[in-house]
This record gives sequence, structure tokens and C-alpha cells, in this order.
Amino acid sequence: MNDFDLVRKNLFRRKLRASLMIMSILIAFMIFGVLAGFYRAFTLGEDRAAADRMITVNKINFTQPLPIAYYNRVRAVEGVRQVTFANWFGGYYQDPKNFIMSLAIEPSTYFDVYRSEFDVPPEQLQAFIRDRGSAVVGEKLAQKWGWKIGDRIPVQSNIFSQKSGGHTWDLTIAGIVKGKVEHVDTNFMLFQYAYFDETRSFGKDTIGWMILQTTSPENNDRVAKTIDAMFANSTAETSTDTEKAFGKAFVAQFGNIALIVFLVVGAAFVTILMIVGNTMALSIRERTREIGVLKTLGFSGPRILAMVLGESVLLALLGGVPGLAIAALIAMALRASLTNVAPAFAVSPTIMLQGLALMIALGLITGIIPALNAMRLRIATALGRG
Amino acid sequence: MRSLWLQVAAVTSINLKSIAQRRWLSLSTVIAIALVVIVLLAFLAMANGFQRTIAGSGADDIAIVLRAGSQAEINSTVSRDQVRLIEDAPGIARGADGKPLISPELYLVVDGIKRTTKTKANLPLRGIGEQGMALRKDIAITAGRMFSRGSNEIVVGKALLREFEGLDLGSTVAFGATRWTVVGVFEAGGSVFESEIWADLNVVQSLFNRNNIVQTVRARLTSPAALNELKNYSDTDPRLKLDVKSEASYFAEQASQTTDLIQKLGWPLAIAMALGAIAGALNTMYSSVASRATEIATLRAIGFGGFPAFVGTLAESLLLAVIGGLLGAAATYLIFDGVTASTLGGNFTQVVFDFKLSPWLIAEGVALALIVGLVGGLFPAVRAARLPIVEGLYAN
Repeated sequence: MNDFDLVRKNLFRRKLRASLMIMSILIAFMIFGVLAGFYRAFTLGEDRAAADRMITVNKINFTQPLPIAYYNRVRAVEGVRQVTFANWFGGYYQDPKNFIMSLAIEPSTYFDVYRSEFDVPPEQLQAFIRDRGSAVVGEKLAQKWGWKIGDRIPVQSNIFSQKSGGHTWDLTIAGIVKGKVEHVDTNFMLFQYAYFDETRSFGKDTIGWMILQTTSPENNDRVAKTIDAMFANSTAETSTDTEKAFGKAFVAQFGNIALIVFLVVGAAFVTILMIVGNTMALSIRERTREIGVLKTLGFSGPRILAMVLGESVLLALLGGVPGLAIAALIAMALRASLTNVAPAFAVSPTIMLQGLALMIALGLITGIIPALNAMRLRIATALGRG
Repeated sequence: MRSLWLQVAAVTSINLKSIAQRRWLSLSTVIAIALVVIVLLAFLAMANGFQRTIAGSGADDIAIVLRAGSQAEINSTVSRDQVRLIEDAPGIARGADGKPLISPELYLVVDGIKRTTKTKANLPLRGIGEQGMALRKDIAITAGRMFSRGSNEIVVGKALLREFEGLDLGSTVAFGATRWTVVGVFEAGGSVFESEIWADLNVVQSLFNRNNIVQTVRARLTSPAALNELKNYSDTDPRLKLDVKSEASYFAEQASQTTDLIQKLGWPLAIAMALGAIAGALNTMYSSVASRATEIATLRAIGFGGFPAFVGTLAESLLLAVIGGLLGAAATYLIFDGVTASTLGGNFTQVVFDFKLSPWLIAEGVALALIVGLVGGLFPAVRAARLPIVEGLYAN
């Protein structure tokens, strides 16, 4: 019987208590993994927002339309490299529950502005530009419904209807869009604005928002001011901001709920660790007498220290590692359904390493005081105590 | 039999009186249980508050008419012709003057600035028809007056005023090139309407270029049962094809998703934490039994049975749990009850709501605490009952 066997046997002496502690640690690290994954997903998109990309929306609110005439005026602003625009379509497939993130766009400029994110084969892009009734879909969306190039897909909108009275737009898939970097969400459908504007029953000649790319991030401020001044006091005033600031403001709208959930869940994680730590420390204190016996048998102080610490670290790992693994599985399972909110939701290797470090820290912190006490313990005192 | 209960009472009282000797250990268990209850109740109070605000907004005898498939007001469009057809629909109540009690409404999103974070947030601006006020329950103007028809005047909900700046009575706000004056503040019995800004439908339509289009039509029904008549009417007329729902069921749908999400997060988390607390309680109770081993053995030696020792230990554990549970409930009440929060609701606009604890939720929290106490005390109690007398007497 080596020291490790002893550690293991000690740990499982009270099976119920040990299992409960392992269970609690497992859950704590599951919470940690999921939370950290979410946090990463939210901040990753923000960090990677292109510094030279700006968004122009209606000053009243970004859901209000802008006149399409603005597009050409913005093109002419000095310091603007490229502009494109989009209009929210509110599409769904077959049933309102099958929501599709769908936009009517200007095809030739849209993929230029987003060239660092989206990858469309040139011939597919050409086909899309040529055929007014066509659409391109993101890889993930195509996979979800098993759509292929050439398929004709009936898409309905929960906002718009056709001039003819119908509610359905039949779109031919001309291409599949792939993401170039990890955080890009390809769960979308894009179709031609020209076709959309011509067929819709209301809102003609308006667009949702413009995305523009400046010649350099240093020009951002000046470009924004020029554009907003150009439309000041008109019926549709604009507000131009960097993509990053826009995204941040949008996320902030989920407001205190997200913050409160984050805080409460974080507090829960810390609480579980505290409860478990306390329990672990106590269960080692309970064994003072045995430690005295071990010392009598000739176990050195450092060896006992190592054994006690080993026991608490083992316990933390036994709970923590499966906990993180489950978090990774949850992230994988949820990724598909959360793709609109948090496309990069995953328990990354960095999070795994952080988790491991936390487990070892938990083990060491909860074990150190009883371990030191055990090491310093005088045999006579130990045997004399209850 | 009577002597058994006397024994139980005696041992239990010894147990409870001796808690003071293990005060630190007992306190840590109480705190652990209290924390579990706080986390559970914080989530439940949040879900409850959100649910009450939204679901409490709807009435059974008000119908809400939306474009088929639109699911939320913000997405819906209803044309003027359709509004006229609805005016003549069966099942709709009429006022003393014979006019149908309906309110065509336009729901737009405008920006507001949040007081706490100074960030932009989506606020709902609702253009309401003449009957708009009359079609909502518990509406009262608490300061100022109602807007006058045809003017750039708005009234704002009380909750909105609390959470967003620049909307105080008498101030002017710009939505685009138009300036609006806040002439009144209204209360709506804590419903979601208190998170809205209201103005005259016709003014909103013309200033936002939405002539001839509204988003929803609200109508007072002659009775809740008349909803089906209205539904049939809409389904059979090809010019309509609209979704007709009672306002109550519309808001219930809107609330359910977020409420579900909060609850689905809260319960598993609380149960997870409860497992940790059980581990803590087991510790406390095993120590309690160990420290009283001599005592228990002595009692057994003079003729007390095992059952009183069992009950005594369990009672101690349950008492700690109840204290923890009540402490947690009290703390949640003090920290969270009435806290105002806001988030994006189903209409893509901010919904302001309060955390709301209810007696039933507190009962759920204390019940969870009792389960922790029961499980955490059960095994040590069995040990106390079975403790061999001789071993116990020599324990120290």
C-alpha cells in the first residue's frame, strides 16, 4: 500500500460525504466553465470588431429606417473607403418559430465591407449578383436545413408582405457563405435589396442601416461627424458610431438581468467552494488522532503534509475535471441554439487551464491549514485528543 | 408510549441546548443553507417580478389583433382597410354613442438614456387611438394631464421615468427632428404599460411617415367568449387573415420565455448548491453526534432508547436548517425585494420590472432548506441511535 492508496482510502472513508463534495465541486466547475465560455463569447466579438468599420443608423433608434438616398451621399464623404447597407427582413422558414436571421443587402458592396469575415467563392458571388431573386446563406443555416445551391426556398417575413398581397418570397440559393475566423456566425440568409424593395408593400426606398469602412481608423471621428452633420435637421437624422461601440451598447440593453444573473451565479460558484472547503478542512481535522498514529509509525511531517494536501487536491480534481468536461459538452450542445447571441460560445483550452489552476488552488487552500496543523502536531497531543 | 415521548422531549432539549457548544460549526451550516436559499429566491423573485409585470398587463376581455405570424407587436402591420373591417367585426363592444371600442396603435422604438449606466436603450413609443386609455385597466394619470389630440405631446409611464433620464414632466425630448413635450405621467397598476411612452396615433403616424399603417388593434370584447366570434370573422375574410388573441394570452406568451429561462437557471443552481450544503450539514451533525457520544451512551445506559437519540439529532439538524432558511429568506427580502431591473422584452424594447418575493416563494425556499436539514441530519441521527453503549462511554 503506497501513499496514494492511503490518500484515496482516506478520501472515501465517508462515502456519502465524499460523493456529495465531489458532486458540489463538479457543479461548481460546470458553472465556472459555462460562465467563462459565455463571457468569452461576448467579449471575443467585441475585441475582434474591425476598428475601421462604422455603423450609421437613424438617430431616433436603430430600428427606424433611413432614406436610401443617404447611401450615395455617404459614399462621397472623404475618408470613406466603402459603404454598404442592409435592411432587417425578420424572416422565417415554414413556421414563425423557425426564425432566420435574414437581411436584404446590396450584394456587390456588402461582401467587400465584410471581406475579412466572410468567404464566398467568386463564381457563387457573381451568380448571386446576376440573379435578382437569389440569396446566399451561411454555412450553418444551410447545414441546419440541408439546403444546397440551386434549391428554391420559400421564406416568409414576420414584418413585411408583398405588394401582390402574398407573404412568401421564393429565393434561389446561389451560394454558401463560410466564416473566415472563428467568432463569425454563419447562421444567416442574405438576399438582394433591389428585389426586396421592389416587391414589398410598404417602406419603399428606405434602408435599415449603413455599414461603412473608413480609409483608416484615425479618420473614424471625422467621418462620423461629417456624416451626422450632413443629415442634421433633416427628417431622418443619423447617428454614426464604430461597430464596437454599437455592439457594446446593444449588449448593454439586456441590462441588469444579465448582470444580476452573472453576479448571482458567480456568487454561487464562490459559495459552493467555501462550503466544500470548510467541509474538507473539517474532515481532515477529525482525523487528528490518526495522524498522530501515522507519526508514531514514523511518517515524517512533510510526508504527512503532502498526503493531506494530496487528498484535498485529489478531491478538487475528481469533481472539477468532470465538471469542466460537462461544461464543454453543454457549450457544444447550446452552441447551435445560441448562435445568434453568442456565436463563439465554447469552453476554450484557456478556460480549461484556468479551471485546472482553480481546482489545484482550491485543493491547496482548503488543505493547507489542516495539513500544516497535522504536520506540526505533537504525537502526545494528537493521541490525547478526541 | 408516554414515557417514549418524554424521552424524546428530554433528549431533544439536551441537543438543542448544546448547540451553543458547537456554535461555530453550527453557524457555518446555517450560513451555507442561508446562501442556498438566497440564490434560489433571488432567481425566483426575478422570474416572478418579470412574469407579474408582463402577464399582469393583459385582460381577458380585450382582444389584440396582429398580422399573422408576427408574434410581437413590433413586427406586426395592419392596414387602414383592415382596421375598418375590424371596426365592424362581431363580438366587439360599442360605447354609448354606438362607436366600436377599439384602438388602432402604432408601436415604435426610440432611444432613451438609462439613468444608471448612461447608455442608450430601446424605449417603446406607442401611438394610441382615442379609446386607448379606456381599453386598459387601472390606468391613471398621476401627474400632469393626458396629451391632447393632434399635438406633439406625450405621457410617460411611471416605471420608465424611474429608469431613464430626460423624461421628467415638463421636459421636451427630440425623436428625430421633432420635439415632444412630456405633459403627464401615468400609472398602470405595475403592468408593462408603465414602461411605455404614449402619444396620439395620428401625430405619430405622420411624424414617423407611417400614414395608413398601424401595428395592432386593441378591441374591447362584449365578453371574453366573444373572442372566438372575432377569430372566425378574421379567418373567413381573406382580406383580414390576422392573428386574434386575447390580450391576456398574448402577454402570457411574451412572459413565458424569459420567465422559463430564469427559473431553469435558478433551480438547478440552487439544487447544486444544496448538495454542497448537505455535505456541510452532514459534517456538523456527525461532529455533534461525536461530541455527545458519551452523553448519548450514558443516557442509553440508564435506560433511554435509541429512538430519542435519533429524533434529537434530527431535530437539531432541522432547527439549523429552518434558521438558515428563514435567514436566507429575510436576506433576500432585504436585498432583492423591490429592486428595479430592466431588460429587453419580447417587443425588442425595455421592460422595467421589480423583483417580487411572495409567501409561496419563501415557502419554497424554506422547504429546500428543510430538505437539506433532513438529509444532512438523517445519517448522523441513525449513527446516534445505533451508537454502541460501551464504545460511547469510552469515547473520551
